[in-house]
Amino acid sequence: MAAAGGQIYSMNAHVPFIDRIWRTRDSVQVAERLNADEAFARLDPLLQTSGTQYIVEGDTLTYSKENPAAQDRLATFTSGTLLLSEQEGGARLSYDLGSTALLLCFLAPLLFVGFGQLAVGLSTLEGPQTEDARKAGKKDKDEDAEVQLHWIDQMIGAPAPEQPDDKKKKEKEKEKEPKHSPTPAYVLAGIFAALYVVGRILEPWLIKRTFRNALTGALPSDH
Amino acid sequence: MSGTLVGNRIIGADAPVTVGWENIGKVEGGPVKQFIFTWFQPVFLLFFVAFFYYAPNSLAVASTALMMGIAFKALLLALEWINPRYESWKLTWKEFATDLFYVGLGFTVLRMLDAYIGDGVIVGAVQGWFAWESFSWFTAMPLLIQALAISMIFDFGQYWMHRGMHNWHPLWLTHAPHHYITQLNINKGAVGNPVELFLIGLGVGGFFDFLPRAFLIAGAIGATVGIYQHINTRFNTPAWWRYLFNTTEHHSVHHSQDYEATRSNYSGTWIIWDRMFGTCVDGEAELLGMENGRRMDIRETMHFPFSEGYKSIKARLQRPAAVGGQQQTEPAE
Repeated sequence: MAAAGGQIYSMNAHVPFIDRIWRTRDSVQVAERLNADEAFARLDPLLQTSGTQYIVEGDTLTYSKENPAAQDRLATFTSGTLLLSEQEGGARLSYDLGSTALLLCFLAPLLFVGFGQLAVGLSTLEGPQTEDARKAGKKDKDEDAEVQLHWIDQMIGAPAPEQPDDKKKKEKEKEKEPKHSPTPAYVLAGIFAALYVVGRILEPWLIKRTFRNALTGALPSDH
Repeated sequence: MSGTLVGNRIIGADAPVTVGWENIGKVEGGPVKQFIFTWFQPVFLLFFVAFFYYAPNSLAVASTALMMGIAFKALLLALEWINPRYESWKLTWKEFATDLFYVGLGFTVLRMLDAYIGDGVIVGAVQGWFAWESFSWFTAMPLLIQALAISMIFDFGQYWMHRGMHNWHPLWLTHAPHHYITQLNINKGAVGNPVELFLIGLGVGGFFDFLPRAFLIAGAIGATVGIYQHINTRFNTPAWWRYLFNTTEHHSVHHSQDYEATRSNYSGTWIIWDRMFGTCVDGEAELLGMENGRRMDIRETMHFPFSEGYKSIKARLQRPAAVGGQQQTEPAE
């Protein structure tokens, strides 16, 4: 048994089907005959990073990472179990990894929908934007004064600024709008949902490539 | 590590910092690539300013600026991928998702908060208390002068707020989480504790009356200059640009692991404020962050100013009476 670091925690709670949200299970087959010690020695660079704890028991390696560095190759999958099985004509590394980042990204849309609801709630509570409320602290005396561009701007063709009548029309339209718009929150909820889908596909693919490269000695060196 | 003498300070004694423009990296590749990455920044500044200068009133509105800003950020993300400054700052899925969370806070919760206690409200209240009016004669000046004034006034405020954050412990506690970033990417400007993001966004522009179009042009300057503070793209930035404006090179020095280097380049857009007040260090750095590059997660970022503030207060209260009477200097932040 070999171990490094302190306590190992795990994101690998078994919740059938649902745990696919944050877990990835797969395997990598390599043509070279490797025993567990040889295979784990090749994976060692992935574990020799700050905040990493791991333990090797026979053909099984269990690891966890606490807040790994941005460029840590296992940064997304912060805990997992790797099992090496020797096979005829090669070896197979099976793995079962958990990702707090994927879980949080999955939940992020709910948070932003919540922010959207908060915006709606606050706007309802405050009622429509009245002219008085928007102009708090401003004087009225300049209201009807015509705004003119400097002669230099007129000469080089900048459009004339809006005049008080146009402004008033726009402000009346604005009065109908809620004080806090929920739209940015809903858009962000959508972006996080899309980002989760991208991550759920991309990150398992990248980790599989990383393990394959590590086992075949093709892992690029870190900067 | 010996470091380099800049003024009366040694820069790069704790961690590597390249001082001066002679030894910084250059864009590698053919003439087309060299041309693009030399002129990209000035061309987009000119384009954005010209757009908001000439756009009809129906287009010269905040929503257009927002959409253009988002599209520009998407383009800059592509540039990070095409021509990165450092491989070690490569944007990963997890980093992008984390950064986006902070961006999201800025567009939602912070915006709501700003409506109640933001600079607009504060300026309005101050004007109310002292029966002040805005300096309305500004609107009679040429648009570009107004825009430059807005940009420089806001950045001047930001310079001193930022410098204050590096020199006064309570403010530093709000800013420290931002200094735990270990790489620069286009959304990293949003990474930090919300209290800091709120404070750094405060401005005094509300005391002056400007034309709405001038605000949009000023925003265009910020969006096409200040944005490069946090970007992982190698540019051959023209000498005049880096003399006037803050660049990713300057800001990487500010974020380096070298303590003295972090106490430089405080401005957001106009590096001339730093030149004027003696805090500018021209150069660049790759190794960024605090505590040897420890990454701070979202949870710690959210509670850091409060938990560390509590510890500081507790330590101060528990200090022996014999020491209590003496003047204490701020710890090195």
